[in-house]
Amino acid sequence: MTRAHPFTDGTLVLAVVALALLLPTWPATAALYLATCAVALVVGAGTAVRLGIVISLPLWVLLGVMHVILGEGPRAPFVLGGSYALEGLDWALHQGTRLAAIVTASLAFAARFDAHRFLQAAIARGWPFTAAFVLVATLDAADRFGAQAVRLREAQRTRGLKVRGSIGARLRAIPALAFPLMLAALTEADDRALALESRGLTRVGPRTALDPPPDRAADRLARWGAFAVVIAVLAWRFAR
Amino acid sequence: MSPRLIALIPAAVAINLVIGRLVAELSLPIYLDTLGTMLVAVLAGLPGGLLVGTVSQLLSGMLSGYQWVAFMPIQWLIALLAAAAAGQGGFATPWRSGLWGAACGLACGLASAVISYLLFRGVTAGGVTAISALLRTLDVPLPVAVTAASVSTDMLDKAAAFIVVGALLRALPRRVLGRFPLAARAVGR
Repeated sequence: MTRAHPFTDGTLVLAVVALALLLPTWPATAALYLATCAVALVVGAGTAVRLGIVISLPLWVLLGVMHVILGEGPRAPFVLGGSYALEGLDWALHQGTRLAAIVTASLAFAARFDAHRFLQAAIARGWPFTAAFVLVATLDAADRFGAQAVRLREAQRTRGLKVRGSIGARLRAIPALAFPLMLAALTEADDRALALESRGLTRVGPRTALDPPPDRAADRLARWGAFAVVIAVLAWRFAR
Repeated sequence: MSPRLIALIPAAVAINLVIGRLVAELSLPIYLDTLGTMLVAVLAGLPGGLLVGTVSQLLSGMLSGYQWVAFMPIQWLIALLAAAAAGQGGFATPWRSGLWGAACGLACGLASAVISYLLFRGVTAGGVTAISALLRTLDVPLPVAVTAASVSTDMLDKAAAFIVVGALLRALPRRVLGRFPLAARAVGR
């Protein structure tokens, strides 16, 4: 399958976020969630749908407890006994489907995000190189530091660090885990600053993208279509 | 933007994400997911802290849902108060760090409570919402429950975070601190 331009993915996610916030009833946000899942599955981001359910599940539980069981306002009897808040149920369904749509769209975007393609697209569009670099370097650093943190934790545990037990013991583990990572970050930043300076990162002027991703007519149509749908829903909400 | 700041931002954002995850694995009632924002606000000043906070929130939105971008002003508030504390020598001793952290937690908790109540009706991250739910079972009104849960967890979290950042800054050699005048002032050197 042909990959979409990186800006198309980003625009579609923003459109889902905007629609989730604008749509006024839970059946509408539920339909948006289902549509988001369908698109994610079609573009090969099925993991985003599964992970989206895992992330949204605790929110659903908390929404149920806070607004359906403990909610205020008129109440109706449960089939199995007890009662539930009518307005709370409506809000829980609305907010639950709204958050599920946003989470799934965000995760699908993350699953398909290719830092190299994004950087090339940003350069081709004349975006400030520093901003694009910071975003891409951050994604790279998050992976690297994540792996370093796992190694560090195992190394400290072999030296007797306790990461289980009482709250006091777990609190005492924090400096042993956090300090080396923070010091490594400071040391690395100095080395990188020198490397970036010598490669002319802060130089101004146009840059040439080596292999910019193609921006096809279908990409432009998808972006403008998403924009038009959001504007139409916004106009409808204000006209109501 | 200086090359040093450009190099520091990705590392600081990674610290926010990675240490936040490490602490979550320790099942502690704190988050420590803003250490990078505080560190850069103290080392490079307010603009650096604001940038780290913004990028952190955008990236964490990408990884767990963009609804949490609504809490971006909290990152800015942390950067602002960490830079202010640094200017006043707020990291010179553990006690001063803890007090500045508690003040930062109070401000952030109140601001979080407003966002949490207005946009999410109190249902956000697990721990805070669990405390709100507990208070609701005692018939505490929702706005009061959300504020109490938010302020108590944030005061604890930010006090711990300021103490950790202060301890790190005080442990830095003079040679490193010399490159960051604000950080040197923060620890009273």
